[in-house]
Amino acid sequence: MSETITADVADQPGATPATAERQQEAATRKASSIEMQGLHKRFGRDTVALDGVDLNIQAGEFFTLLGPSGCGKTTLLRILAGLEEPDAGSLVVGGKNVTEVPPHRRSVNTVFQSYALFPHLSVRENLAFGLKMRGVRAAERDAKVDEIAGFIKLGDLVERRVDQLSGGQRQRIALARALVCEPDVLLLDEPLSALDAGLRSQLQVELLRVQKRLGMTFVFVTHDQQEAMVMSDRIAVLNGGNIQQVGAPREVYERPVNAFVARFMGHDNLYPVTARRGDRLTTALGELTAEEGGAGELLLIRPETLDLLPGTVEGANHLQATVAERLYRGSHAEFRLEIGETTLQATVNNRGRHLPDVGDRVTVVVAPEDLITLSE
Amino acid sequence: MSYTGVTPTARSRAMVRDAQHLLFTVAPGAAWIVVFLVLPSAYLMGVAFMSNGPYGLPEMPLSLESFKRLAGFGFLGWSPGNLYTLIRSLWQTLISTGLVVLVAYPIAYYITTCREKWRPIMLLLVVVPSWTNQVIRTFGWMNLLAPGTPLSGLAESLGLIAPNMGLYPSNFAVTLGLVYNFLPFMVLPLYAAFEKLDTAQVEAAQDLYASPVRAFWHAVFPQTLPGLLAGIVLVAIPAFGMYVIPELLGGGKGMMLGNLVATQFSGGANWPLGAAGAILMLIATFVGLFAMRRIGKRLGGGEEVVI
Amino acid sequence: MRKRTLQRGLTGFWWLTVAFLYLPLVVVVLFSFNASNSAANFTGLSLRWYQRLMGNEEILSAFANSMVLAITSSVIALAIGCLIGYGMYRHRHRKLGWLIVLIYLPIVLPDIVFGISEMAFFVQIHDLTGLLQPGLGTMIIAHVTFQIPFVALIVYSRFVGLDPTLFEAAKDLYATPVKRVVHFMLPTIKPALISAFFLSFTLSVDDFVISFFTSGPESATLPIYIWGAIKKGVSPEINAIAALMIGAVAVAAILSLTFSRRRQA
Repeated sequence: MSETITADVADQPGATPATAERQQEAATRKASSIEMQGLHKRFGRDTVALDGVDLNIQAGEFFTLLGPSGCGKTTLLRILAGLEEPDAGSLVVGGKNVTEVPPHRRSVNTVFQSYALFPHLSVRENLAFGLKMRGVRAAERDAKVDEIAGFIKLGDLVERRVDQLSGGQRQRIALARALVCEPDVLLLDEPLSALDAGLRSQLQVELLRVQKRLGMTFVFVTHDQQEAMVMSDRIAVLNGGNIQQVGAPREVYERPVNAFVARFMGHDNLYPVTARRGDRLTTALGELTAEEGGAGELLLIRPETLDLLPGTVEGANHLQATVAERLYRGSHAEFRLEIGETTLQATVNNRGRHLPDVGDRVTVVVAPEDLITLSE
Repeated sequence: MSYTGVTPTARSRAMVRDAQHLLFTVAPGAAWIVVFLVLPSAYLMGVAFMSNGPYGLPEMPLSLESFKRLAGFGFLGWSPGNLYTLIRSLWQTLISTGLVVLVAYPIAYYITTCREKWRPIMLLLVVVPSWTNQVIRTFGWMNLLAPGTPLSGLAESLGLIAPNMGLYPSNFAVTLGLVYNFLPFMVLPLYAAFEKLDTAQVEAAQDLYASPVRAFWHAVFPQTLPGLLAGIVLVAIPAFGMYVIPELLGGGKGMMLGNLVATQFSGGANWPLGAAGAILMLIATFVGLFAMRRIGKRLGGGEEVVI
Repeated sequence: MRKRTLQRGLTGFWWLTVAFLYLPLVVVVLFSFNASNSAANFTGLSLRWYQRLMGNEEILSAFANSMVLAITSSVIALAIGCLIGYGMYRHRHRKLGWLIVLIYLPIVLPDIVFGISEMAFFVQIHDLTGLLQPGLGTMIIAHVTFQIPFVALIVYSRFVGLDPTLFEAAKDLYATPVKRVVHFMLPTIKPALISAFFLSFTLSVDDFVISFFTSGPESATLPIYIWGAIKKGVSPEINAIAALMIGAVAVAAILSLTFSRRRQA
């Protein structure tokens, strides 16, 4: 990908060419934006689940709430669904204030983590449940159920009993049961977390395709940053009931705003800046020059931006290191390097060239444009 | 941001709704039990501390007369009839519970050694007789133990009973009836305990201890103890308060506490005395339940034991 | 070798115990077909006691009473117990120890104490207000009281076994509170409701002591009638009516066996 697009992403989050296209397609379908303002939620006397959340989600967006367990992401989703009432704040969906509207009167549907398929009903009856509750006539119900079953490719499962389905099939039925109601917004609460890795990545692709075809607003909850990056137009990272950062996946991954986001996105190379002269920053690794020094007190070096040269090579932003550990992963290799008392992680693509061994002396080359600083 | 500043209206509204829901669902049943069982029991307890009036109805003033009479002090000095009944009740409870354990323990074990597909049928076979009415079951024993029946004939020829007397009415018949009545109550919890038995422990014990008796005592018995205790409570508490079986199989000399109490409310007519007897049964019930909870907790997994 | 002896001994003991359990029932059924009215000697097959039964108004009315009592009390207990079972589930995170004690009270209270305290209480209330005249009404009240806990516990355990998100899925899929009850909760707990009803029914038919003390002169049920007949002196007719009741239990046992078999399959 060229440099210009990267800049584009960073400057205008959520407005990649792909999204624009999608939104055009979506214009013919139903999709709603979501505006949250000052949402507070507390459980019991002193467990704060949400501590004043302001967030806007655009119509037709695949939006992900990402964070560790207990960060408030599920509470936020349940407030969107109407299953929890916020203690304070307002929620507007599609221009309508729905803060106090009960779930059965909201045009919002949820795919639950446990799928929550009704055990006393057949697959067809499960799919038709929402339409039936809305008072849609039987003939129309059947037609819609058949249509969605064809769309999700589960036509032959429709007449089965729920307990005859596999995990992946249940997941699809749960998705179809929510989609068939044609909600303004679809909420997904870690819908793939119960599946094994292979099925999971297959369903990630499928889910993304469905969202593109329908142009519906999807709000997706996960604790898996890989999944979030694959799926989302934009990601909101939550911690302790607060939003830490909102942005496109590349922005959140490459330009985390604080140490929490950086660590959560999988970055370990964080070093306190002990002295600063313009763009020259001193850390435990030594002195490095960044393109923009910034004002943050932590220096982030992403492992995959580093180059390793064999032996000792002198130069600006060149660090002398010893290989302490090497993890060979086939497509790439991960190194734990020691620079004095400090360790540094580096990831090197395997292009069939020489890979340093444990104990080798190497030179680490750090590009100034890949260095960013952030606050704690 | 200070959280306490947020208006708590939504929150308190939800709490009110939740409390209303609790009231709506739970209140009818709770009120029913309170009005039709808790109040009557409380009234009965009160009666026990009142004096016996004309027609056996309770009267003021309060008195401990009924408890004295239960303990053997009559109007005319020492009259131990009631005390004997009390002792007989305890004795029958003890003996029948012991016998039930002796029969149920091997039966429960045997069921677990059988093929899995037979076990539900075997359990059903044990339980089905208790689905029939207690009066009918006891009536069946009356037929079996009456004078002139083969069983009575056998007992007669062995010299156990006098000629033409029959095996009932007698204390023996009451014990038999109690064992018969409560056997399933002991088999079920014991079976549950045996089914959960950790066989690895048993095999280890067979390695470690020379004799099978010691292996049983150290590895099997402790594991079945919670089930055994549950069974004992399920048998002993209702046995102590039994009315039907001693009434039909026991005759005058086989009376138990249940009959003493019932008589005071019908023919004998002394409500306070009957109520005092009922209090003894209540105490026995709660002591039994409490003891089982305590022991069950100490053994671990005590919660599942309660009914 | 020793193990096999033990197993063989146990098999023998098992069949002895089964014989012990069924002997009194078999005797009752057998003597219901006895040609003579002797309780000791079986003199030949006859259906005369069953014929006598059909003409006995008292038995027919006792049967009717038993049915009215069992069905009415079970229906009332089902409604009240179902509500309380759901309430216990919905509010299980609250401290409801007092409710648990209340629910277990009717189960642990000895029959005789249960029956006598209600009888004494009803008599007092009747003397004071003229309400609660002993009869089918008081019996229904008493039976509902001991049926409620069983219904509540069965319904509660069914709810506990459900995925709690199902309740949220129903809300999420546009079901109003009333529709949630009709289209989700009731159908989902239907098996529990059926077994709760049958258990209540069985408990009611099976009960003698509590019925005996709360009944009035006109409200004798089958067990009360049989009790009275036994007390008056054994009549062979009792064998016939008792045999019919044993037959009903046998049918119920076979039904429950086939039902549980089918569910396993």
